[in-house]
Amino acid sequence: MSAPAGRPELVIDGFPPRRPRWVEIATSPDHKDLGRILITGALGFLFIALVELLLMRLQLAIPENTFLTPVTFNRMLSLYGATAILFFAVPLALGFFCYVAPLQIGARGTALPRLGQLGAWLFIAGATVLYAGFLFTPTEAGVNPLPPLSGIAFLPNNGVDAWAAATGLATLGFVLIAIDLVATLRRLRAPGMAWRRLPIFSWAAAICSWLLLVIGPVMLAAITMLLIDRNFNGIFFAGDAGGAPLLWQHLSWIFYTGAYMLILIFALGAIGEIVPALARKPLFNRGAVIASMVAIAVLGTLAWMQNMYTAPIGIGWMYFAMAMSLALIVPFGLIFFNLIATLTGGTVRMRAPLLFAAGAIVAISIGLASEVCHSMVALGWRLQHTTDSTAATHFALVGGAVFGGFAALHWWFPKMTGRTMGETLGRLSFWTMAIGILVAFVPLFIAGAEEGQVVDAYKFFNGTGVNADNLIATIGAFVLAAGILMTLVNAILSREGGAPTGHDPWQGDSLEWFALSPPEPHNFDLLPDVRSARPMRDIRKAIARRSARVERPGRESQPVA
Amino acid sequence: MAPHSPGTDQIDTLLWIGFVAAAILIVAVNVGLLYALRRYRAERGAEPRQITGGRRIQLRVAAVLGIFAVAIFVLSVLYTDKARETPVTGAAGLQVSHSEPLKITTTGQQWLWRYDYPNEAFSYYKLVVPVDTAVELDLVSTDVVHTWDVPDLAGKRDAVPGKTNHVVFSADEEGTYFGQAATLSGQAYAAMRTEVEVVSPKEYEAFIESQKEDIQAAQDRVVGLIENGETP
Repeated sequence: MSAPAGRPELVIDGFPPRRPRWVEIATSPDHKDLGRILITGALGFLFIALVELLLMRLQLAIPENTFLTPVTFNRMLSLYGATAILFFAVPLALGFFCYVAPLQIGARGTALPRLGQLGAWLFIAGATVLYAGFLFTPTEAGVNPLPPLSGIAFLPNNGVDAWAAATGLATLGFVLIAIDLVATLRRLRAPGMAWRRLPIFSWAAAICSWLLLVIGPVMLAAITMLLIDRNFNGIFFAGDAGGAPLLWQHLSWIFYTGAYMLILIFALGAIGEIVPALARKPLFNRGAVIASMVAIAVLGTLAWMQNMYTAPIGIGWMYFAMAMSLALIVPFGLIFFNLIATLTGGTVRMRAPLLFAAGAIVAISIGLASEVCHSMVALGWRLQHTTDSTAATHFALVGGAVFGGFAALHWWFPKMTGRTMGETLGRLSFWTMAIGILVAFVPLFIAGAEEGQVVDAYKFFNGTGVNADNLIATIGAFVLAAGILMTLVNAILSREGGAPTGHDPWQGDSLEWFALSPPEPHNFDLLPDVRSARPMRDIRKAIARRSARVERPGRESQPVA
Repeated sequence: MAPHSPGTDQIDTLLWIGFVAAAILIVAVNVGLLYALRRYRAERGAEPRQITGGRRIQLRVAAVLGIFAVAIFVLSVLYTDKARETPVTGAAGLQVSHSEPLKITTTGQQWLWRYDYPNEAFSYYKLVVPVDTAVELDLVSTDVVHTWDVPDLAGKRDAVPGKTNHVVFSADEEGTYFGQAATLSGQAYAAMRTEVEVVSPKEYEAFIESQKEDIQAAQDRVVGLIENGETP
């Protein structure tokens, strides 16, 4: 850890805030405030999603339970799906992209700051609209509200409208943030920061932003059609009037599958920063990892019909989807190979971020290997719509968004606050979560694959052979939640009470570690020319060379005690 | 759960293939990861060699992974094609036609399955089919999307309004098989179950006859009530 005092730059301070702090943050065009809003909001919704998950798991702890009514269960399920994906995982990824990517490329801000700010506010507006549903009747149409069930004839109350408006607002916000990020990454890179020198996490930001520009408008179109169907006698999804319920399935699955890939690319991007820095080696092959991330975005999104094997579509479409999803084995496998090859021969410092990163790799690998089974068409007819798919999705997405997200949180927390997160609590949280995810979701694999327990059901029956599986899964969910809460508490406590750090606590290679912790509003007073893919390493070396020249006589003249 | 139809035999074999493939992938990634993490723990002050890999090793790893993916793809296509083949009615089965399966229109409705047999008989909740006979269910829905799923007999398929989906099977053993609808369809979704009773062809024909008589009797009674000016 080197002290910021040795840095050859001017430090300007003394601009007093003119307005209350929350007004400053809310109206700030600074990408760091935008990132802070998104990350804080996302972690808050992680807590809410946990509460909803635990309520559902309590209901499913014993057979034929009556703890929740069917309607309440369906509402929890619908809110959980929207909250976990749209108000936790995606905004968490975008929050880190907004905070870190401009720093990594040596920019002093983003290209279209007001657009990004509008995006963050649309995200908050969307969340407000979703939960305002509690004022009347929240949606009960499921995680993906398939028409005709989500049509006006079957759910005439405004819950589905609230869901559609909320999802639409949030998605629009994400698209605006993605536009801001794309423009920033294209136009505002520091001198010498060629694409081939761009840090892995900034590459992930660029790929995810482009992906959002493709899938976001598809979802917005689908939601618009749903709202027209529900409120203006539309027939987009009305099978008997010339529309097609399957159209919704195609459009929504393009978005959800793309979002799934986005979350994984975010996690792999963060892990791709953490592993090399804590192994003190460069990434084994940057080009292969970047190309793989692009391939994941393209192939993963093209595999959307992998979710529709049971629907009345032609077998050719199913084989197409299977080809796309099995092809994903290559890019994911290459990334895992390169991460392991990076660790090999390094000097690995097993700090909390690396623990969480390793946990993310384990969980994602289990989830994706199960997805391989779900992609095999005839096997999909057996495994899809069972708790086996719940378990696969949760391993991959909890692995990506929670383990990967917490790895990113531990990693960049010192940059955001100037303090490190408590290491002991971090480790305790990690091991609790690791036990929790295994105990919570491995039994669901068994219940789904062996006994065919169906997904999304508010109860299961005695004598179907899944009593023990579900009880263990409920216990595991509570352990997982306890572990997650520890990190949330750790983050809150460490904001004020963490050990103060300098600007470069991890000896990272990218430029965000050149800025102060927390960075000043303009990020950098002056920027070096970027000459390699590891600019901060070059700077450290230059500083070491110069200070060796300067400091030697000083040391010799120190008085002897 | 055990397979009781040619199609589910194929799916069961594919389940083992998928299980082995997933196990290989999980073990490969995690053993490599955990080994690297344990083996290369930091010693203080040591600076590792800054090795990076060239293109050749990436291409080799990609080729191995690609071959693995292609192998799974080919196996899946082979087994899927066998699993969706219409089975052939055996000697012990119902001998109606040599090439055509027994067609039963299966209607999903909130929250009950209706089965319409050939020659006008129908039943709710319980499907009765003859053993060793090729059966084709034509899945339709009158309201929302439902998924018909009796895992012992066939892979699950959706009943979507406005489109017909198909399930084929041929039960190899008499007995009762249970199933549960597998797409969220509203409040009573979890209670939307079904039961397939596989019986001998003789019992099947007797069932159809008695069902027809019962339906006729019920209709006659309703018509009689209406003619007498009462509300049925």
